[in-house]
Amino acid sequence: MTELPALTEEEFRRLCEYLYRRTGMVFTEAKRYYVERRVIERISATGSGSFASYFGRLRSDVQNEIELFVNAFTVNETYFYREEHQLECLTSDLLNQRVLDKRTGDALRIWSAPCSTGEEPYSLAIWLLENWPRVDEYEIEIIGSDIDTEVLELARAGIFGKRALMRLSPYLIGKYFESLSEESWRILQDLRDSVRFSPVNLVESAETRAHGQFDVIFCRNVLIYFDDAARRVAAENLYEALLPGGFICLGHTESMSRISPLFEVRRFPDAIVYQRPDGVARDR
Amino acid sequence: MPLIRKPAETRPPSKPDGSSVLKALASAHQEERWAAARAAAQVPGGVAALAAALRTEHDPRVREAMFSGLAGAGTPEGIQEIIAFLRSDNANLRTGALDALRAAAGAVHTVVPQLLHDADPDIRILSCELARSLPSVEAASLLCELIGREQQLNVCAAAIDVLAEVGSSDALPALAACAQRFRDAPFLAFAVRIAIDRIHSQSTLGRD
Amino acid sequence: MPSFINVRTGWHVTDSQKTVMVVDDASLVRLYYRTALEGAGFRVEEALNGIEALEKLLSIPVDLLIVDVNMPQMDGFTFLDVLRQKTGPLASVPALVTSTESAEADFAAARNAGANYYLVKPIEPQTLVEFASMFCGIVR
Repeated sequence: MTELPALTEEEFRRLCEYLYRRTGMVFTEAKRYYVERRVIERISATGSGSFASYFGRLRSDVQNEIELFVNAFTVNETYFYREEHQLECLTSDLLNQRVLDKRTGDALRIWSAPCSTGEEPYSLAIWLLENWPRVDEYEIEIIGSDIDTEVLELARAGIFGKRALMRLSPYLIGKYFESLSEESWRILQDLRDSVRFSPVNLVESAETRAHGQFDVIFCRNVLIYFDDAARRVAAENLYEALLPGGFICLGHTESMSRISPLFEVRRFPDAIVYQRPDGVARDR
Repeated sequence: MPLIRKPAETRPPSKPDGSSVLKALASAHQEERWAAARAAAQVPGGVAALAAALRTEHDPRVREAMFSGLAGAGTPEGIQEIIAFLRSDNANLRTGALDALRAAAGAVHTVVPQLLHDADPDIRILSCELARSLPSVEAASLLCELIGREQQLNVCAAAIDVLAEVGSSDALPALAACAQRFRDAPFLAFAVRIAIDRIHSQSTLGRD
Repeated sequence: MPSFINVRTGWHVTDSQKTVMVVDDASLVRLYYRTALEGAGFRVEEALNGIEALEKLLSIPVDLLIVDVNMPQMDGFTFLDVLRQKTGPLASVPALVTSTESAEADFAAARNAGANYYLVKPIEPQTLVEFASMFCGIVR
């Protein structure tokens, strides 16, 4: 039986330090096996002759290698109620702060960008209806945007399979979806009518500005894969897309420390989020 | 149903007039200065105006947008204005300049070789960090050349931190010579040892 | 109060283990400090820049900060400035600033940002441990 070929100690250190610097992710000894296995997969997939050659390719992010490598560790599939702690934070803390200066009937705008096939914005809609006592007091606008127009079409259609719904209770599925077959469900017309889907390239300020300003933005698992230039521009565009005092949530392995100094870090019981300052001096 | 869908608004992108943008760089309102900073690079005279405004701007967010403007202008003039801030006494401006250079597409390739030869050791230190953004082979080659001639310990230390990441066996002679030159400096001996260990260590992954 | 001798170093420890956060973007510097500080019985946390340090400080109590000046996204002085404006114990965590710069203007900048002390790099391990012990109230 052949042993799994392994990285040397120093190669593992080099790789971990690079990934920590670039993404903020920490890979401990406990994760070592998974990291090595992923390296082997990627060396093979890229036809690299050695770890050194592969590492050079990773560092230069040749053909999105960083995203391809890290993908294995961030469970990038999309499903309803993913990262539920952020949804908790939204209704326990973020929205209540946002409405402090709003009157009944005022707008509350939430952006899911990128939204992919719609699980995230529809999750926001369902979560708000189910969990926010004040949901009827405001005009809540949820927008889902993505650079990929094909996924937007799928999002508008609102048809999902078993895996996408795996975190939803039978009660919620029964309440908000109609069953099309044994393996597919469509989210109800009411919900499809309450979310707007639009194309956006986060790096193009003309496109982000066209969407106006938001109270909360969910921008998960995309910024960290942009190169230095794109990350910077996207962060500025997202900053502008936030109302003063508005919040932005990243993916749980992401941190603004690798992206931009524009936002303030805020810690809530359920999540760490980032905030555009509202220009009011106060003790934090 | 409290969730509402509004149709997309089509607003034509506003074309701000050049002189009002430049004037707004000195506005009393942070939001106006921010917007002006983002627009200025596209306006005639914008690069010079941004550089001048940076010298007196206190808000770190507006500074960030101003540096972005200089980097995004895509001109050698813009890059040179950013480099001038690497020499600032103010750490926030130095960091802002370094981050902007990293994000200025293609600029790093052009400026790093010259900056590694700068007379100021503090600039050489910052440039080692900038070299990290280059492809491995290019970064290693520049940094080996540097430590071959560098007399300042902290500059060598900065270079070796990057060589530990990008160095190959080509770097071994320069590293050994550096360790010898600074043999009484414990941190440098430590750093060289780590760099050499990492260079020597090669698994057989990828090979048959 | 628990009190014992660390047989390896001879230090007389008068309180529970102290935590030092090293904030520096150079991985070899962080490794060097970690080796020295762990050897002296400290628990070590790391951050690569001021933003990461602020994020970690929101959930990890720390007894001492060792902060470099030149770091990406948020430099050491900006970080200390932001930290000192917070409410609660976080604002007064002792901070030892390290830098390659040795000009008078830099000491002043450190003092204005709220640093408690300033050391010029390179720093000997023994010096680091002595200062860390002093700031953490560990008596020899």
